[in-house]
Amino acid sequence: MFPPTEVRFWRGIWRLLLGRHEIVVLVLLLVIGTFLSLRTDTFLTWNNLSNISRAFSWIAIAAFGESMTIIIGGIDLSVGAVMALAGLITARSLEADLPVPFAVAAGLLTGGLVGWVNGTLVGRVGLPPFIVTLGTMSIARGITFGLTGGWPVRNLPPGFRLLGQQDLLLGSLSLPLPFLIMLGLAVLVNLLMGQTVLGNYIYTLANSERALLTSGVNVVQIKTLVYTLCGVLTAMGGLLMTARLGVAAPMAAIGYELDIIAAAVIGGTSLFGGEGSVLGVLLGAAVMLMLRNGLVLLGLSAYWQTAVMGTMILAFILLDHWRRQIR
Amino acid sequence: MEPLLRTINLSKSFGTLSAVQGVSLEVYPGEVVGLAGVSGSGKSALSMVLAGFYAPNEGDIYFEGRRLRCPFQARALGIEVIHQKPDLAEHLDISSNVFLGSEIGWPALKWLKVPNRRRMDQETARVLEQLDVRFSSLREKVANLSSEQRQMIAIARAMIRPAKLIIIDDPTLLLGYSYQQKLLSLIQNWQQRGTAVIFSSNNLDHLLAVTDRIIILRQGRQVAEHRTDEAHREEIVAAMVGTTDRQQLTPIIWALDSYYRAREQAEKLRHSQILLERNLVAQDALNRQLIDQLAEQINALDSANAALQDAQRRLLTELEQERKHLAREIHDQVIQDLLSVNYQLEEVGADESVTSALKDELTDIRNSIRMLVDDLRHICGNLRPPTIDSLGLGAALQSYTHDWARRTGIAVNLDLDANLGRLPEAIELSIFRIVQEGLSNVRKHAQASAVWVSLKHTSPRTLMLSIADNGRGLAENFDLAALSAEGHYGLLGISERVALLGGRLKLQNQDGGGLLIQAEIQHPRVAETDGGE
Repeated sequence: MFPPTEVRFWRGIWRLLLGRHEIVVLVLLLVIGTFLSLRTDTFLTWNNLSNISRAFSWIAIAAFGESMTIIIGGIDLSVGAVMALAGLITARSLEADLPVPFAVAAGLLTGGLVGWVNGTLVGRVGLPPFIVTLGTMSIARGITFGLTGGWPVRNLPPGFRLLGQQDLLLGSLSLPLPFLIMLGLAVLVNLLMGQTVLGNYIYTLANSERALLTSGVNVVQIKTLVYTLCGVLTAMGGLLMTARLGVAAPMAAIGYELDIIAAAVIGGTSLFGGEGSVLGVLLGAAVMLMLRNGLVLLGLSAYWQTAVMGTMILAFILLDHWRRQIR
Repeated sequence: MEPLLRTINLSKSFGTLSAVQGVSLEVYPGEVVGLAGVSGSGKSALSMVLAGFYAPNEGDIYFEGRRLRCPFQARALGIEVIHQKPDLAEHLDISSNVFLGSEIGWPALKWLKVPNRRRMDQETARVLEQLDVRFSSLREKVANLSSEQRQMIAIARAMIRPAKLIIIDDPTLLLGYSYQQKLLSLIQNWQQRGTAVIFSSNNLDHLLAVTDRIIILRQGRQVAEHRTDEAHREEIVAAMVGTTDRQQLTPIIWALDSYYRAREQAEKLRHSQILLERNLVAQDALNRQLIDQLAEQINALDSANAALQDAQRRLLTELEQERKHLAREIHDQVIQDLLSVNYQLEEVGADESVTSALKDELTDIRNSIRMLVDDLRHICGNLRPPTIDSLGLGAALQSYTHDWARRTGIAVNLDLDANLGRLPEAIELSIFRIVQEGLSNVRKHAQASAVWVSLKHTSPRTLMLSIADNGRGLAENFDLAALSAEGHYGLLGISERVALLGGRLKLQNQDGGGLLIQAEIQHPRVAETDGGE
């Protein structure tokens, strides 16, 4: 007994939608975008969209790193604190009259160092990533408070602020520099994950760690490398944020870990490991930022926003769970 | 020579359970070392420690003279491991799994290499062809394959890179008969290329066929070590189970033809179980029950057979003794007496008082006595080939077949291995009797004009005896068991003798007509002799 053609048609569509997660997110993005454009006057303005894209860029860059840790079956909760710490170290370096490239390198190195500590404790020692990164999150945040005494670092040189505030003209289109940097990194991470053996191992790690071990692949090195890369990418996001705001505040990026994890999860990165794509994460970050922006524009109290974000994350984890059961 | 791998006092325990205790062993390049032991004797644990997956609690491992710090990356040193159960990446396809950890690609950087799928597919196809494994597509995910196919992929993975040492941890549990044989021939190939192999197995036949040395483990301890050439099954099994009581040993060691057939049945059942496993969970449980039942039946059959075999072996030995005795009796007594009677007659004939008529009669009598002596000598020869004790099997076969061809008028082409050497008495006699019975079967039933007998080594410890004729071959609905009911014991006798030697017998009709009897017989390795003897 075959179900009627119409039912089969809808079932086919449903399967297609569930099969390609990027399509689900894209549809969601369009729905939210259309809704906000209709309900508010301010959403669909060049200024607003450009502002969203700047904030979107640093969240997305950090989310690339975050999704890698999630794909190997781990998680990194220290991302928000690392963004603030990396921005602060760069700002302090600039205060000490270091040239911009060196200051940027110092910030990235800081992120890499925290990531390396995470990776070593998770990979070599074998501690659970949730606890390890929760610890490094407090440490990084504590260091930012300690170094600043609670006061923000202001008066960053214009050469550095360019990084977050400059627009580049591409033909008649003027695009924010952070957005372009984000696109560049997206291409790089995509190549790394999709083309190289490392990407292959990263996707394999969560579900078939023993197969990698018996094949002589150094799993500990991969884990350390992934957490370190996550740290560097997060620091990059932190730098762009600091350059954009023009101030390195100790309270900056508090609660961003939730946004970043949400971007990764909405983008189809499976918390069970082994699945996720750069394009998905990019779209996920866009949904996140648009939602945040929309909630503000709609006049919803900021207090309610985290509740909405949390609900979104849970909804997408449920979707992932169901999809696994169907298979 | 420097050992490739050396362990000193290696111990490994899991909690309070000690799996390996104080094992010291050395493995040289190009050597096949067998690990024998009953289940739970620590074979797998030892293999895992040697492969660097478990760090030992005590003791050191030296590879090529360097001390290894655990856990070490075995593959980077040139150690390949084939596990009992294959560890594959489920969601990757076949060629990715074969090349996992050693991808071909560009640039030659450790992590940033971009795999070259086309070349990897080609190489994978080449290796899989060597292994006689076929897949519809190399893009198939390994999660969709049977356990046997997955194990063959794991073996292919070990063949992709040149290895110095290959550790094999009884993967034959998941393999069917033909792939088991494939693995054994692979081990011999590796050995010839100078690769050392550590082969742990539950199957004593496999160990005896390919190893140079066998190390026996019991409860994690190294209890004995035998050179395979000098080892006896009984010794090894006794060391494995830790008893010398024959009653307990026989069921483990000996097995008759029917036992092999039952094994084959179990094998088939297991194969279909693997097929069913994937879609029918309920069916799976039922199959397991059936296999359990079958295993019980085999065990019962086995112990019954053991007693039967013992009896029959004794019978055959006594029969041979009796024949030997009889032959000697006839030769030493009857023939000598007849000859002396002959002399007496000659002396009588030489007397001048005897008439010429009587002389002629005497000559006739003496001629018939001489013929009688000849006949008796022939009977002696059949009872106990005189050459076999002094000159060996080859000479005995040559003289027998020559004689037989002369008597029957059927041409015999004998093709003997140049390096046949001397085998244990029981084996030489059995082979001789098999040829005797085979030829007499040809004479009685085949209506053939020529017979080809060949005796060749297929491996240093295996002889292949084949007897082929150009006669009418087997009947279409041939049944070995039914023959005895009709009173034909020839082929049955051959099959029993082969089974008692622990060999395998194959009867088949050749393409051009005529029967081909092939018997594969295992024996202790013989000392190399100069060819052309």
